Amino acid sequence: MIKIVRILRPAFARAYVRIFGGFREKSWLFWEVILPTIFMSSIIFAYENLNAPKVFIGFVVLGTIMMNFWYNVLWGMGSVLYWEKETGNLEVYLLTGSPLPSLLLGMALGGMFNTSVRSIAMILIGVYVFQAEFIPAYLPYAIAIFLLTLFSLYSMGMAFASLHLIYGRKGIRLNEVMGEPISFLSGQYYPINVFPTVIQSIASLMPITIGLDGIRRALILGEGLDTLWIHISILSIMALILFPLGIYIMNRIVEKGRRDGRLILRWI
Amino acid sequence: MDYAIETLHLTREFHTDEGVFKALEDINLKVREGIIFGLLGPNGAGKTTLIRILSTLLLPTSGEAYVDGFDVVKEANKVRKIINLVSGGERPGYGILTTEENLMYYAQIYGLSRREAKERIEEVNRLIGLDEFLHKRLNTLSTGMIQKYALARGLLNKPKILFLDEPTLGLDVENARIIRRLVRRLVDEGLIKTILLTSHYMAEVEELCDYIAIINKGRIIAEGTVEELKNMVSREVIYNIDVKAIETPKLEFLKSIDSVVGYTVRMSNISGEARIRIVMSYEDISRILDTLERNRIKILRIHQDRISLEDVFLKLVGRGLADD
Ligand SMILES: Nc1ncnc2c1ncn2[C@@H]1O[C@H](COP(=O)(O)OP(=O)(O)OP(=O)(O)O)[C@@H](O)[C@H]1O
Ligand SMILES: [Mg+2]
Repeated sequence: MIKIVRILRPAFARAYVRIFGGFREKSWLFWEVILPTIFMSSIIFAYENLNAPKVFIGFVVLGTIMMNFWYNVLWGMGSVLYWEKETGNLEVYLLTGSPLPSLLLGMALGGMFNTSVRSIAMILIGVYVFQAEFIPAYLPYAIAIFLLTLFSLYSMGMAFASLHLIYGRKGIRLNEVMGEPISFLSGQYYPINVFPTVIQSIASLMPITIGLDGIRRALILGEGLDTLWIHISILSIMALILFPLGIYIMNRIVEKGRRDGRLILRWI
Repeated sequence: MDYAIETLHLTREFHTDEGVFKALEDINLKVREGIIFGLLGPNGAGKTTLIRILSTLLLPTSGEAYVDGFDVVKEANKVRKIINLVSGGERPGYGILTTEENLMYYAQIYGLSRREAKERIEEVNRLIGLDEFLHKRLNTLSTGMIQKYALARGLLNKPKILFLDEPTLGLDVENARIIRRLVRRLVDEGLIKTILLTSHYMAEVEELCDYIAIINKGRIIAEGTVEELKNMVSREVIYNIDVKAIETPKLEFLKSIDSVVGYTVRMSNISGEARIRIVMSYEDISRILDTLERNRIKILRIHQDRISLEDVFLKLVGRGLADD
């Protein structure tokens, strides 16, 4: 009980900073919501001009939303942790003895709030402006798959964030490496069966690919548990592996940082 | 263990492009409970490195260190519970939040609930005096305010042992005095058991610290109370000689005089004068003045001075603490 409080309090405190600090920047709505929504709309316009089948609109909306969550892991967790180090906040945080995963969870929750607001805007635009069609019958499965996927993504985020501590500014390259190719492979704007089987199987190793496929099947194709159980099982196994792995990698890197003296070394 | 802080053969190396660099070498310190312990040394001496090891942010390469009896390597989490660290010139926190919100944030990181945090912030406020800027955003505070805020942050978890790394760095005389007075009060009133502070200001350490260790190039070269340290130069004779502006290198010739232990030069840009502070192993001022005159240095004033900590440093290291 006490332990949970020690984990959650710092996380909520950090999320509060992210969310309410964010509101104080008046441009928040523009950067966080309007701009990404315009970008998504431009993709949909392109599809419409090519007379793509209507299901593609829903594909694009869900794909964009999922990728947003992934980018939130990369930039909102990894790069933010780097800045926490540069400003000396990390040093002070580590002094408190609070677990580092709490800080990362706080950043993630804070970022997730923004991303959720953006996602809702995208769904509304998708449905009311572009007439995207979703089948709400299997929404609970979609939500379950979504949460499992998020859990895996944020577990991976812990490992990436700690790499940012060691590689400093070079970590931004890491984000690019982990961003574009994954967006490509996960089928952000198209179903991945456009790829040859080999690439499809590589792509399926990523939780985001499986999560996205599952959510699309539930909400667009109206498939139920008879196909989605595969997604749910694989994602559960991934979560069980990735979470401890993320914590392990992070602890190892922090330990290594304390040994090498790079943990709080600035300007790297 | 009876010491607040104890180190045994503590060594820290860094691997740099030029090879292995020893930032700390065989440090053996014993810090009694209930005092302000000063670590005095020039830039790059290893002060921050030592504080980082003691505050568990950095691991030693070899040797041991104990804080309140806890091993900083094996019992890091126990150490973290009873310490805090405030670094001068740093401004951790979030610029977009107010002082109060930032303190609230850090209190919650320590696991306090919002209500507990509020009470704690009030206590700290009464002690330090934050009213003037409690509701101002952090990014609008002056350096003096930031330093008070940083000190307030350092007290949130009621640490038993507080590390202060150059707590008055960059502050003007008035603000530095305020901070020093606060630091003294913390220990006098028993709010903090033991403080270890680093500084490269002689006067600060002399005024504030009950016990001092002088560190240079990663090694402790002397330690003791102010009196004990000053006794190390009790037989020496010290003069301040004010001269018309000169360039420091031109004074090299002073070194060849037998009686000269060391000297420092301080320029005054405003008056165009320079003050040579010279430590001699015996009274030999006439010889010095002769030599200065022979080298066409115009002497304005001479007076004998009492020993300061700086002279101890000068004697031990052969150069002034403030010299490059
Ligand atoms: N992470 C690191 N990697 C490599 N060298 C380091 C690292 N940290 C410190 N050093 C080196 O160790 C030496 C001691 O540094 P330290 O910061 O402890 O000195 P200091 O006494 O605090 O100096 P200052 O008064 O300038 O703050 C310096 O030469 C510094 O360059
Ligand atoms: Mg330092």
